[in-house]
Amino acid sequence: MNEISKSVTELIQQLGRLPGVGRKSAERLAYHLLRVHESEANALAEAIVAVRKNVRYCSSCYNLSEGPLCGICADPSRDSSRLCVVEQPRDLMALEQAGVYRGLYHVLLGRISPLDGIGPEQLTIEKLVDRVRVGNFSEVIMATNPNVEGDGTSLHISNQLAEYPVEITRLARGVTSGSILEYTNREVLADALTGRQKL
Amino acid sequence: MTAEKTDAIVLRAVGWSETSLIVTLLTRDFGKVSALAKGARRPKSPFEAALDLLCRCRIVFLPKSGDVLDLLTEAKLMRQFRNRTQRLKNLYAAYYVAELLRELIDHGQPQADVYHLADETLLKLEQDAQVDGVLLQFEMSLLKLLGHQPSMTRCVGCDTPLLDEGPVHFGLLVSGVLCDRCVAGQRQVIRMRGESRKIFTLLSEESDWESGWLTIPDLVRGECRAIIQRYLTVHFDRQWQLHRYLEDLAR
Repeated sequence: MNEISKSVTELIQQLGRLPGVGRKSAERLAYHLLRVHESEANALAEAIVAVRKNVRYCSSCYNLSEGPLCGICADPSRDSSRLCVVEQPRDLMALEQAGVYRGLYHVLLGRISPLDGIGPEQLTIEKLVDRVRVGNFSEVIMATNPNVEGDGTSLHISNQLAEYPVEITRLARGVTSGSILEYTNREVLADALTGRQKL
Repeated sequence: MTAEKTDAIVLRAVGWSETSLIVTLLTRDFGKVSALAKGARRPKSPFEAALDLLCRCRIVFLPKSGDVLDLLTEAKLMRQFRNRTQRLKNLYAAYYVAELLRELIDHGQPQADVYHLADETLLKLEQDAQVDGVLLQFEMSLLKLLGHQPSMTRCVGCDTPLLDEGPVHFGLLVSGVLCDRCVAGQRQVIRMRGESRKIFTLLSEESDWESGWLTIPDLVRGECRAIIQRYLTVHFDRQWQLHRYLEDLAR
């Protein structure tokens, strides 16, 4: 490849390492950064440096945080009797955006996947059990992804929590609101029928 | 290249780029297939839930030559793995089935019998509490279908029939039982109880695993599992990820 500039080539290579960014997209982004005002490009660079420097995991729930505790754990208005268990911080963000849950969270930082060499000891399950043991939770909501490994992780955790006086629930699954039953696949219908609710 | 249609079991699915998956499938007609499923991680993916681990699905794929991954174009879900027992042991046993198939089946070699065995085993693991028996039967049937079955009735050293019903020597490296004369100088030899050997013999001789699933007596269940796990480890010279999980649950 003919190098236009060593710095530009380096920037393209670095951008190209980001998920979902291929060679062409990396080139477009690099040329965009060269075109914009210097302050705009510097702001992006500073934001990247700041996020790496300041963001860490919350010492209680493992959500992303800029202090020892994340905003949710530090908020006294949250319902401290409910704990929602999610796989990743982005799952937590999705649930927060739904705007109906006011309890606390626990982020596992993954899911149990023995075939990929990820066991329970590599997640934050031990810390979760400790939280339930010393906390005043009445309900633990399992919000792992609705697939075989997500359900397996929930099952492992529910076994670990069996000795504590907490109700363990999981997210409902089934037919999407606004969809048509006729076009719904049979596995989804089976889930919906199994988890039917009283009207 | 023409598109191929077949039934498949999902043995592994790993993310590839933001929206795609690389899946490893055990197919009924083409052995193991590794394929790229473009767009499988999109919210409105055409594959829906068909590519979740252990799902049985009907697929259409475009085989590619050389080291290039095949391209999966369709996958219609036929059956999800539903752990009705809500026991971790059943789930880990199903993972173990996937691990064995992933490692022992070759690409592109039709294995309809293996596919059928795997499908029936997963179905059984969804609802049956006798996991040890189901797994042992799966392991022995798979070894038989792949030509790795250990000899249980004749000494592998001198071919003498071993008629005594008492304990015998089992050579892990030589894949079978050994008489007292042939055992000398052999490495990796373990003792096997007569009752355990009876179970293994029954599973070896059973011409058709579909004739029924065996219930392993409590007395020899632990020994049978330990022997088959050691045999698989030594014979294939590899550590199996799921052995640790199954052993932890057995404690």
